[in-house]
Amino acid sequence: MKTPSLKESLSSTLETREIIRLENVFKIYGSGETEVQALAGVNLVIKKGEYCSIMGASGSGKSTAMNIIGCLDRPTSGRYYLDNVDVAKLDDTELAHIRNQKIGFVFQQFHLLPQLTALENVMLPMVYAGVKPKERHYRATEALKRVGLEKRLHNKPNQLSGGQQQRVAIARAIVNRPILLLADEPTGALDSRTTQEVLNIFSELNATGITVVMVTHEPDVARQTQRIIYFRDGKVIYSHLTADQLLELGSR
Amino acid sequence: MNLLESLQMAGKTLLANKLRSALTMLGIIIGNASVIAMLGVGEAGQKFVNKQLESLGPNVLFILPGNRETQRISFEVPKTLVLADAQAIAAQVPTVMGVAPELNTRQVVTYRNRNTNASIIGTTPSFPKVREFEVAKGRFFTDIDIKRNNQVTVLGADLAERLFGTQNPIGEQLRIKNSSFQIIGVLEAKGSSLGANYDEAALIPLTTSANRLVGRNSPYGIALDYIVASARNSQSVDAAEFQITNLLRLRHKITGEDDFSIRSQKDALQIVGQITGALTIMLAAIAAISLIVGGIGIMNIMLVSVTERTQEIGLRKAIGATERDILLQFVIEAIILSAAGGLIGTVIGSGGILLVGALTPLKTEISPLAVAITVTTSGSIGLFFGVLPARRAAKLDPIVALRTT
Repeated sequence: MKTPSLKESLSSTLETREIIRLENVFKIYGSGETEVQALAGVNLVIKKGEYCSIMGASGSGKSTAMNIIGCLDRPTSGRYYLDNVDVAKLDDTELAHIRNQKIGFVFQQFHLLPQLTALENVMLPMVYAGVKPKERHYRATEALKRVGLEKRLHNKPNQLSGGQQQRVAIARAIVNRPILLLADEPTGALDSRTTQEVLNIFSELNATGITVVMVTHEPDVARQTQRIIYFRDGKVIYSHLTADQLLELGSR
Repeated sequence: MNLLESLQMAGKTLLANKLRSALTMLGIIIGNASVIAMLGVGEAGQKFVNKQLESLGPNVLFILPGNRETQRISFEVPKTLVLADAQAIAAQVPTVMGVAPELNTRQVVTYRNRNTNASIIGTTPSFPKVREFEVAKGRFFTDIDIKRNNQVTVLGADLAERLFGTQNPIGEQLRIKNSSFQIIGVLEAKGSSLGANYDEAALIPLTTSANRLVGRNSPYGIALDYIVASARNSQSVDAAEFQITNLLRLRHKITGEDDFSIRSQKDALQIVGQITGALTIMLAAIAAISLIVGGIGIMNIMLVSVTERTQEIGLRKAIGATERDILLQFVIEAIILSAAGGLIGTVIGSGGILLVGALTPLKTEISPLAVAITVTTSGSIGLFFGVLPARRAAKLDPIVALRTT
């Protein structure tokens, strides 16, 4: 039996690091008769380096869960640890800082600012992080290279195709070197070819150690991730579906 | 995020919406331009009037018949001042240097086939000294002319030119109300001051005016329209006023209310100052209202802008902008709009002032104080009216903001 090398043992301890830990999380909107229970006791652990997708019918609570994971919203009750930090204890400014430093967001509608060039859009998170302009420029250029857009630095969003716009958005998400990439239906507005391009970029990023969590309703997209988490009625009903099991679930 | 970058970002956003930014600024531009122009023209007007008043001579006192009440309500002011009063003032008030009583009428003046309507001023030989006139040609009349009721006249510069052109009028005969007057002199031109223009008048001895033209109309002697007295110097104006008042009260045996009133240039300046001050306040108030309206315009557009840019705000929050960052961004946009509007308005207002200065006799100038006040005011208006929309932007829930399409 081979003893594990130093590198292997180090990486194994790193891989056990918990990035996301949701403990009995409830999210309730409204009160009294109009009360809606969006999350009804969610327990979920996602470790560093995982590449997972969250699925579920609309109204299953997957979007609410994403908002809480992304520190855009707070649980009504229960605990959420992001990178071992209890998020409930942070104020709005600290949450903004967490979103800026630890999380990268990718949205279905890209949400690029139309008056800014691709480069400027990618530099935006660093503006809020207080990175020096020179370094900002360098890092934004690097991030755009990484998504294959080094020739489109000075194009505005309306001069780019949908796939290119989403790649700019991904560059913006990773430019502050987050530990977590959150993608909300990132391929929802893309055709199948550009969908594959985007998913390839996610895989590459995941390979470099970034944890990727993606909400999707497309089984074909979910199947390309390592782990599928399935929501129903505000709860996680399957937390480790494989692609085959998903197929089975769909055929039932 | 530092201030410089916030400024750059705000500038970029505003430039991306040029037409809207320009229209938003318009209210502030108009407000500021009107503040600057109104203050500038108002100030110039005040200076103009003051200069006119000062042309009367700083040490001059006007003694008018009737008290303020009768002057105000009656068309025909009672003739309570007589020549003897003027002579008494000249003789008995030590601080008075000279006294020029006037008895005036308007008559048709004829020279050969030319005639014109002119003011006929009956006065005494002290007139040039008291009113600071120089005799350009010939001589002024003397005490002998007064004593003998001589029919002599000294013409104002414009009247002389109108009747005689380039011809020398000295020695010619002039008809005033069917009496013949010999022209003995012409006054130097001085221009009008406060509506009275001696350049258009003919001056004759007071006694001649009373006996030939106006008529003796007071039981106490020759009634006068008013008396002009000049004090020895500017320090003795108040003393002279006091002494003249006392003397006239004695002479008129007054125990109750005075039947005359004394005005000095200082009084007039004060009255004019009050009037123009009130006018300036009124104009400034109107202008300030337009500034506030401009500010409300900015608030309005900023609120629309916040609604329109909900997604942008949501995104900025998602990628790490704090409430403070968003607040700052929108407040800065509002301040830039109003300060730039203020600056443009100042330029336009100043241009207007210079135009008024070029086209009218008013000597307008741009008051640096007014510029400083309006630019800072409009900046603070931006701050004041920008905070509400900015707060609304900062408080937006990023989830809701991102969901909006």
